[in-house]
Amino acid sequence: MAATSRTGALMPALVVENLRFPEDGSIVSVARLSVEAGGRLVVFGPNGAGKTTLLRLLAGVVPGGPTFAAAYQPQHSHVFRGSAGWNLGLGLNPEQAAWARTLADRFGLDPALYEGPARALSGGERQRLSLARTLARSEPWVLLDEPLAALDVADRMTVAAALVDSLNGKGAIIVTHDREEAAVLGERVAVMVGGTILQEGPVAEVFSLPVDDRVARAVGVANVLDGVTGHREGPLCSIRVGPLQVWGLGDLAEGVGARVLFGAEAVTLFPGHEAAAGSARNRWPGTVSALRETGRLIEVIVDAGSPIAALITPGSQAALNLEPGAPVIVAVKATAARIIPR
Amino acid sequence: MSFIGDVLSEAIRLLCQFGAELRGVLWLTLVVSLLATAIGVALGVPLGTALGLGRFRGRTPLLVAVNTGMGMPPVLAGLLILLLLWRDGPLGSWGILFTPQAMVIAQSLLAIPIAAGVTAGAVGGLSPVTREQLSALGLGKTAAGWIAVREAWPGVAAAVAAAFGRVVSEVGAVLIVGGNIEGETRVLTTAIVQEARQAQFGAALALGIILMVLALMINGALTWLQLRERVH
Repeated sequence: MAATSRTGALMPALVVENLRFPEDGSIVSVARLSVEAGGRLVVFGPNGAGKTTLLRLLAGVVPGGPTFAAAYQPQHSHVFRGSAGWNLGLGLNPEQAAWARTLADRFGLDPALYEGPARALSGGERQRLSLARTLARSEPWVLLDEPLAALDVADRMTVAAALVDSLNGKGAIIVTHDREEAAVLGERVAVMVGGTILQEGPVAEVFSLPVDDRVARAVGVANVLDGVTGHREGPLCSIRVGPLQVWGLGDLAEGVGARVLFGAEAVTLFPGHEAAAGSARNRWPGTVSALRETGRLIEVIVDAGSPIAALITPGSQAALNLEPGAPVIVAVKATAARIIPR
Repeated sequence: MSFIGDVLSEAIRLLCQFGAELRGVLWLTLVVSLLATAIGVALGVPLGTALGLGRFRGRTPLLVAVNTGMGMPPVLAGLLILLLLWRDGPLGSWGILFTPQAMVIAQSLLAIPIAAGVTAGAVGGLSPVTREQLSALGLGKTAAGWIAVREAWPGVAAAVAAAFGRVVSEVGAVLIVGGNIEGETRVLTTAIVQEARQAQFGAALALGIILMVLALMINGALTWLQLRERVH
């Protein structure tokens, strides 16, 4: 394990190598983790992936991690006996405490609560308070474990945007298991499964082009289809999945078992069975078989010979008049699909 | 039955009189016990907090020493202080043997491990979530310890009550280093021993009742503080 700082930049980048916990690496085994100075890395993964342990190692709460100056906020915001205002200023100098109040205001914590006992605060209010206090500290890095988990769904994106605005050039490593949060909070995302980081890259790229099916499952890529590869064209390769021929990025020989992955958000739906304009290489006619609300979006399952999941907004659903049984054309750009060996 | 009745009526008569001698004994008891409790709490609570929160070298033997000290017989504490303060002892030059000062020192020796042990249990029992948040605040050891004590307040109040209960009720240590000198080092417990020895049961019972009322008042106040804090 080593943490090094790159000199020359205004603030050093964080580079952590060969981080293992415990010694056999059974909980966390990270070969390399690097974040540019002022960068925002989201550590994303399912429950039990080791995300919290990784963050605790980085924070120094669990011994064996690197030493660097970071303000850490654990997953569960605990408030201490005393007023909310007193709790907000804990560990801060007067200047930082004033800044914490400004931040708490940004995060939507009502200043009228400051005089009252902190124990009377709701879970969401406690989280806003802890977040403001952590960001008000002077350390150049912040480590946040599920910083929005206790907030109402309706407030999360607002607070997430305020959080990003309030970093003021600080670097951040943020643990979350929510895709939307990850997309707002992170510039880059590291997908962690079984204690290991399987893929790291820009959020949009990782979420739309997972390197393998473990990452695909972790990031919730809705479409994972198995088939046999066909011929190739430049960077593209085709795969036959039942009656469908699917084009995607891949470098596989012809006639081998393979798997194609693409996100539900990469799927475009056109009403009716008329050929629609556009550059998408993959177009298949199908009928809507089911609709399911997922948070603020709607997941549409289309039977196109194989089931294909698409994510649309409630507005699109109304405009396209999508109901079960409705005919649609499913379109997926070949560059949004990845074909990997099976 | 008439024996018990006689003792009781004599005790009540003495309590009603509440003479100067009784007032002096009560006053000395209060001063010695409260001072010893204060010293015990001032040293024992920080020690207990460090033991409850910290992971430092020597913590385990220190914890064993504190836990053993909680059960130290008062006569042994008295004997140790007697040896220290004896005119040929290491602190003999202080010349405080058979004075209230010596009694305060001996009782402090009993109060420190009680305050430390109960505090260590209370602070050590803070939830992992509380402890992790506390360490995440990035505070110095003293500030973090202070917040831990506030957080574990009901348990720390119990430590104060236990320390006071220990010193106000013990007789061995004060008897050895104080000498039970009338008007100088006689406290409620040693006075009870004295009166009982002389078969002055009414007087002994009167002193016992005062001792219980005193303990009730101090512990009542502490319990009130303990419960009042729990509201938040």
